[in-house]
Formats: sequence, C-alpha cells, structure tokens
Amino acid sequence: MVKLFDTQQLRLINKYAIRDFSRSYKKLWVIASTLFISLLLLSLTFSVKEALNNEITANSKELLGGDIQLSTGIDPLPDLIVDELKTLGVVSTAIELATMVSSIDMAPVFTELRAVDDHYPLYGEIVSSPPGSAEKIFSTTKPMVLINESIQNLLKVKVGDDVLIMGKTFEVAGLVVSVPDIAESAVFGEFAIIGKASYDKFELSSGGSFLDYEYRLKFSNPSNANEQNKIVESIVAYDDTIETRLPGESGQRLGRVIDNFSNFLNLVSVSAMIIAGIGISNTLLSFVNQRNTSIAVKKSIGFSSNFIQLMYFYEIILILITTSIIAYLFGVFSPLLANELLPKSLGIDLQPTVSLIGYLNIFFIGLLVVLIFSIPSLYSISEIKAVALFRNTFQPVSLNFSLKNIVLLFILVVILTTYFVLQTEQKFYTVLYFVAFFITMLIFYGVSRLLISFLKKFHKFSSNGYRIAHRNIIAKKSLAPIMTVSLGIGLTLLLTLSFVANNLKQEISDTIPSMAPDLFFVSIDRDIQPDLESFIKSIDPEVMLEFSPMASASFISLNGTPIEELVSENNRSAWVVRGDRRISWSEKPNPDNPIIEGEWWEPGNENEMFISMDSRAAYDLGMSINDKITLNILGRDVTGTIKNFREVDYRDISINFAIIINKAFANKLPYEYIGTLKSDVSSNDILARVVEQFPNVSAIKVDRILSQVSGVLNKIFIAVTGISLIVIAIGLIVIVSAVLVQTTFRRYNNLIYKILGVDFPTILRAMTIEFVLIYLTLVFFALSVAIAGSYLIVENTLQLTWRFDLGLTLWILLTTALVSFVMILIANKSIFSPKVYPLIRNE
Amino acid sequence: MNAAIQFNNVSLSYGSKVDPVEVLKGINFSVSSEEIVSIIGPSGSGKTSIIMLASGLETATEGSIKINSQEIVGLKENNLSEIRRKNIGIVFQSFYLIPNLTATENVLLSLEANQKYNQEEEAKKLLSEFGLSHRLDHLPSELSGGEQQRVAIARALINKPKIILADEPTGNLDSANSQSMMDLLFEYTKKSKTSLVMVTHDNSIAERCDRIIEIKDGQIV
Repeated sequence: MVKLFDTQQLRLINKYAIRDFSRSYKKLWVIASTLFISLLLLSLTFSVKEALNNEITANSKELLGGDIQLSTGIDPLPDLIVDELKTLGVVSTAIELATMVSSIDMAPVFTELRAVDDHYPLYGEIVSSPPGSAEKIFSTTKPMVLINESIQNLLKVKVGDDVLIMGKTFEVAGLVVSVPDIAESAVFGEFAIIGKASYDKFELSSGGSFLDYEYRLKFSNPSNANEQNKIVESIVAYDDTIETRLPGESGQRLGRVIDNFSNFLNLVSVSAMIIAGIGISNTLLSFVNQRNTSIAVKKSIGFSSNFIQLMYFYEIILILITTSIIAYLFGVFSPLLANELLPKSLGIDLQPTVSLIGYLNIFFIGLLVVLIFSIPSLYSISEIKAVALFRNTFQPVSLNFSLKNIVLLFILVVILTTYFVLQTEQKFYTVLYFVAFFITMLIFYGVSRLLISFLKKFHKFSSNGYRIAHRNIIAKKSLAPIMTVSLGIGLTLLLTLSFVANNLKQEISDTIPSMAPDLFFVSIDRDIQPDLESFIKSIDPEVMLEFSPMASASFISLNGTPIEELVSENNRSAWVVRGDRRISWSEKPNPDNPIIEGEWWEPGNENEMFISMDSRAAYDLGMSINDKITLNILGRDVTGTIKNFREVDYRDISINFAIIINKAFANKLPYEYIGTLKSDVSSNDILARVVEQFPNVSAIKVDRILSQVSGVLNKIFIAVTGISLIVIAIGLIVIVSAVLVQTTFRRYNNLIYKILGVDFPTILRAMTIEFVLIYLTLVFFALSVAIAGSYLIVENTLQLTWRFDLGLTLWILLTTALVSFVMILIANKSIFSPKVYPLIRNE
Repeated sequence: MNAAIQFNNVSLSYGSKVDPVEVLKGINFSVSSEEIVSIIGPSGSGKTSIIMLASGLETATEGSIKINSQEIVGLKENNLSEIRRKNIGIVFQSFYLIPNLTATENVLLSLEANQKYNQEEEAKKLLSEFGLSHRLDHLPSELSGGEQQRVAIARALINKPKIILADEPTGNLDSANSQSMMDLLFEYTKKSKTSLVMVTHDNSIAERCDRIIEIKDGQIV
C-alpha cells in the first residue's frame, strides 16, 4: 500500500512518472492534444464571460448613466420634483423616442432618438467621430445631430449634410461611435442624439406612447449612496408607475444573455472534454497493455499495484497541469479577441484577467474528466499478473468496471454535472443536457455492439474485401465502438445544432416575411389616423391596411397581490407584466387569435373592464378565468376580470396584443393607433411620401428588422457551429489515435494477407467497406437522435414549425465522412505495404 | 541451520474443480541457507511452478510454504510483495529488463522497491563488477543477450536477498555466455551467502549445484 504522506515514496513516484513521460511522451500525444483543445475551449468561454461580468460590475454606473435612474414614461417629472432631486446632486434629463430620420432621395429610417441635456453623460463619455463632435449637439445656433454608422449608410449622408427629423432640418455633426449607457438600438439598429434644447425648441414629439423621460442623478456625496437612493425613492413615491433602476441592475439583461450563451458554449466545451476522455481511456489502456511486461516485472520486484497505478495517474496529472496552464493562459486573452468581434457601439472594453480561481475552475473540470476516464484503464493494472513472466504469456487487459469503480464513476459524473448546474441559471436544461449526453454515449456504444453482433451472424462472403472488413469489425480490437461513440456524438451535436439554426433562419428569411407586413406604424395620433389612411390608399388603392387603437398601461396586481411578488424575473412571460404595456380593445374577437378558454364578452357594458389574455402568458403567470387584474391606465388604477384566453402567434409581426379589453369600457380612454401595411408598391416609396406628408408618423420597415436579426443569428450560429466542428475534430483525433494503437496488429494482418497473395486494392476496398459499414450505422442513429432533439427544441422551446433539410443533412454527412475516412487512411499509411523481414525476425 | 525455503505437502492445480489440472502433487522439500539447489525434469513436470510458488507470485492449492520460517500461503498481495522485496531475487529466462530504463536504472529499481534511495553508486559498482562498466547508461535494446542477463542478475542480487530463484537463467544464451553467466551467479551467491534455487535443463549446470531435485509429473522423484 502506498502511504499518501510517505514523502520518499511520493518523490519516487514523481521521479518515475517524469522519467517515463519524458521517454514516452509521443505515445501520450493524444491525451495532451485533446485535453488541450477542450480545456482551451472552456477557458475561452469562461474568460470572456468573466471579463464581461467584470466589465458590467466595474462600470455599472457608466452603464446606467448615473447613481440612480428614474423612468417616468411619457410624462415628465414636475419641476418641483426635479428641483428636489437637484438638492442631492446633478440631474441629467434625457428623452428617448422613436421617430423617422430622412434625407433627400433616401427612404426615411426608423430611429431611436435620444435628446440629452448638457449634463449628459454623468459618467463616461460619448465617443464620436470626428472627436469632439459630440459637443456640437448642444449648439444653440443650428440644430445638430449625431447619427450612428447605420443611419449614415442607409441615408448616404456624411458630416455636414442635412437630415430631417419630424420635418425639422438638422445638420449631421458627426457619428456616435458609442455611449456609456447601453442603448440597444445603438448596437443593433439606428440611433441618433440631439440636444434637449433642440427638442424643446422645435417641440418635437412622436405623438404618444413610444416616448420615455429618463432622469439620472449623480450624487454630490457618493459615499452614502444607499441612504440617498432611499431619499430619491421617497421623493418619487407619489407615483408608483415611476421606475427606478440602480447601477447593479443596468447590465442585468445583458448579464442574463451572456450567462445563457456562455452556459451553452460551456456545455459544448465539456462535451468536447468528455469525447477527449474517451481518447484518454483508450490511449491509457493501450499504454498499459504495451507496458504489460514492465508492469509485471515491477510487481515481481515488489512494487504494489497501487504504486504503479499512482505512478501512471501522476503522469496523466502532469499532462493535465501542463495543458491546463497553457490552455488557461491562451484563453485568458480571449477578451481581447472578443473586443474585436463585439460591436464598438456597445461601449464595452473587455480586459483579460488572470486569476487563480479562474485557473482552478478549468483545472477542476479537467481533473474530473481525467479521473472518470482514467480510473477504468488504470485499475486494469491490477489484472496484470507477474506470474505470467514465467510463462511469457500476456493477455491484454481491458477496462476495469468493478462495482467499486462503477460507484466511484457515478459519483464523479454527478459531481461534474452538479458543478456545471451550480454555475448557471438554466439548471434544468443543464441537467437535461448532461443526461441526454450520457444516454447518447451509451446508445452509440450499444449501437456498435449491435453492429458487431449482427455481423457475426454472417459468415458467407463472395468478396475478400468484405471478408477482411468483416473480420476487422468483429475482432476484439475493432474500431467500431470507439468510432461510433466519439464520431457519433460529435456528429449528433453538429446535426442537431444545424437543424435548429436552419429552421430558425428559414423562419426568419421565408416564413415570417411571407406572413409579415411591409411596414409597421407605431404611435399614430388618433386625429391624423383617418387622413393617413386615406393618403396611403390614394398611393395604392389595393393596399392591405390595419389599424388598432392602443393605450399604455402597467400591470399592478393579480387578485389583489402585487405582481412583483407573484412573477419572478426568470418567468418566460415576465415581459407581459413588467414596465409599460400597450393594450388594445375590440368588440369582437380577432379570427387570427382563436379563443382557447373562456368566452368573449357581450358588447356594451362600459362600466366594467373585461380582459382577454394571451393564453401562453396567462398559463406561465398562473392566471385563471375570472381572475381580477389591476392595471394602471394613464395614472388610474382599474381592476378588470379575465374573461378568456387567446392563442396569439407573434411570428407574423402583425398587430397582436397580449392584453385586450372590452371596447365599451375603453371608449373613454385617450388612445393612439398602431398599424400595419402590406402593399405591392415599394415600401420605401410609401414611407418617404408618408413621412413627408406626416412628419410625426414613425414606421418600421419589417425587412430591415428581419435582416438585422438574421445578421445577429448568423454570427451566433457561426460560433456555435464552429464549436461543434471542434468537437468533431476531437472525435477524429480520438479515432486516429485508436487506429495508430492498432497499427502493429493491422500491419501484422496485412503482412499475412500480402504473403497469401491479397493485393493492395483489396486491402483498400476492405478498409473502405469497414468504414462505410461503421459510418452508416452511426449515421442512422446520429440522425435519429438529431432529428428528435432538434424537433423538440424547435417545436416546444422555440414554438416554430420543424422542417427537414435534405441538402444540409447530406452536405454535413458526406463532408464528415470524407474528412474522417481521409484521416483514417493517413493514419493507416504505414500498414499499406508492410515489410516482411522485420516480421520474420520478430522485430 | 534454518531452512530458507520449506515446502510441506504442497499441491498446485488449475482449472475447474470437476476436472482440475494437477501441476504439483504433495511436494515436500526444503532448501537450507546458503544451499545451491537445481531443479530438473522434463517439460511440463512442474519445475517452474515450484519457483512461482516459492516467489509468492502463485498461490498453492494445498500445503504450506515457508520462506525464512515465515508462512506465505494465505498472505495478501501487499504482504507477499514485502517478503519478496526483502528476501527474494528472481532471474528470468527472458531477462525482462524494463525497456525504457538504462542498465543502472533497472538495477536501481530493485533498491527503490525496498525504499533504498540515492544508491546509484552501489548499482554502478555492482554492474562494473559484472563487467558492464561501459554499459551503465545503455538501454536494454543496446545490450547483447549476455549483457542483458548480467543486468538482470545484478538486479536480483543488489538487495542482497537471502534467496535467489532463477528460472532457466541461461535458456536464451549461447554456451559461452551460459558458462560465464553461471560462474558469475555461483560466485556471487557464495560470496553473499545466499540460497540459490535454479530450474535448468542443462545437466552440466545442475551438477555444479549442491543438490539436485528431480521432478516428474508434479512429484519429486
């Protein structure tokens, strides 16, 4: 027994392990390379996530734009309240609204416009091009605007040119590269900044509910921020529709997106590690079998099995330490690479961070995987008997799956899964992923054994090529299990992700555009709606136009309980009850939104509010028919009764509302309109003429939004597909290593065939048949699992219609087959023409 | 004189209980301290099995085996390893040097198994005495058969064991090397007052021993 704290013994283990490694490192290249690649992947994703979270935490005030932010919606704060806030520090006022920006000859562009005062930004700075142009927007001589690059490209304007905003002329002062507080439109769409003075002077207004007053404070005395936050909240407590946000919350949404995406990448990375683990197990077992005699000699001299196991395990740990350090150091600099890939307009500058905790995180995961996959191989050492030295008969050992080992492996797998689950919000999906992954591994292993059993039943062959292939597949050292498991998993992952991505892309590029309108009008004043409608119809009498009334409301309570107490941030329908919602009303149910529970209301009854809810949101939020909902509509709390649930499909981007109330009750409310337009006339032409005639009307070109979304999705799926390909690459390395391990065995066989007169084309044919049989078997199951998995994701999670793309499938399968086969051929090149002499001499 | 090795009614069989293969049947013999004994017999008679049992690498089906008065039948692997480390050196027919260790490192392995560290000089000294001073840092693949066997003998002797077990130590050597090998083995065995039990087919070697034990069909003749 090796005593763990016997330093002399530990030194001896260290000496033997280093010596053995230095003299046989070439045999361990598979372990080193696959561990390195998979640890590097993990390190890359962990480092970027850590850097992003650090950036959000360190710059939380810049991201918020102040020590505290107040959003008051369409109504500004009374001057009295503002004056009271000013006693605490500097107050910066900004107004955000949606509007159209246009230039001569180019179609107007839907833009998020921000009007800011000269205190903005309270933290950080506006980065503009040319430098210093941001100051010009506060000019009182001429109204000036900063536009982003997207507007510049769409309107084909440059610095100094004029643009129109709600009919008023502004000169382009420069380009806004980034603002310190995150503006999503600045990143993904069209964004512009003007001075608040220009906004006030021209009395610009979008005419309604897509306008938001925001106030940010920078405390004079930042040391007791908590106290001052409470004072601010008490000042604005008179109106519970006013939202306050603190610096910690500013990056929460971005933080959640980062967490979900990086968690997904981490899972794919650990999948790569597990496949690398298969390679570790296979290589270690071969390593042990190659050292059969040496191990037996050591036992005959008096070394125990434990000592020898510990020695080889220590060697693997040395490899793990080395590869993990190098992988971590490479990965640490991934934030610098991410800076190049992230949009500059995010205003984020990621910094690499080297930390012991970060390294230990990577090392611990690597250690767990190494333990799981090395234990069965190393425990096989106990099966090597020194007594075999006397008989010169050595049986190859196989993986040791004693009961004790199985229990130990199970515990380690649970630890690995739990470790990942604890680091993410998506706990259920993480567990599901691991369970599905290990089940898939078992399935593929079972598949390989099925193939072998199936082929054993066939003995009669007409061709030598098939005979040789058959023998290779059913042999004890067959490639079938390792190829099926390692390539099968990688292929399943790639197919599943590709199917999901393809379905999403098809939805965005084909399905949605076929259903979606061309233009989406936002916030149309009720007084101009009839004129607008007539005007559009004069351009195109065949136009399909739809207008719906709309008012702003916020969710207060459900059955008397404040909604914040009932609905968590992570509820997928939390968006329905957070912040300001737009509600509509109708006398009759919309045929596009069938009622699935409850009844529609009778017309009339202006004294009671009846509510129709989006069914999915209602079920997510735990609502039932006849529940009471309290909404704040234009400053007044109103309680209504849920009468029915509707099925709402938001995919067609037509007018859909989560909350609809009865028209009779709503008639008393002030409202505006939203509308959609579908026409054979160019939407650019219609938009240009509408904006010219009605400067305050804003409209979104749906194809523009879809192309923006497509662009983002494409980038995401390139990253995800790239990682899947790395998983396959690791699988291929594992297969190649298995082939190399079999080289002696196969070379011997091929030599016998050569002596017996079998020619090279026959051997090549045999290899091809062997590969095709194994590949077709694993493809069948990989495809089945990928189809099932992607179907569940697309239909259940994304709520889309799943479609099968034969072309994509064939492309993936054939490419993978070709690359795999070529690599196997290259690995086998030494056995194609084995020399007779060394065999005769038993060398 | 105390017996170095003592076999009392030792039997060894393999296979199923219904139809076992009986290799040794009721063997009784002992080897005294400093005695040199050869075991001869036809192939399959059980000679090597006696060596295997005496080294503790095989377990007797019946009977008692004592090494320096200590019973080894029924001991666990760790205890047997300890007895083997401290008391026994084994020389195999096929040398069985570790291929990626030098001659010196192969010999050091024995010392380190016995927790004797930093003894490189002693290993080199013994190898030099065996005529291998010019081969100290060579790998087994760089040594001739005779040189390899001398390294194997050095590995067996370095710990000054009380018992050497040799299984046809000259089986893979030519006659010239065989002769010099046996001279070496006998010289150092006598010098270190070690018992030597040797399996051999070579009658000329057997006749040089203090005693010959003849085995036939698993029994001592």
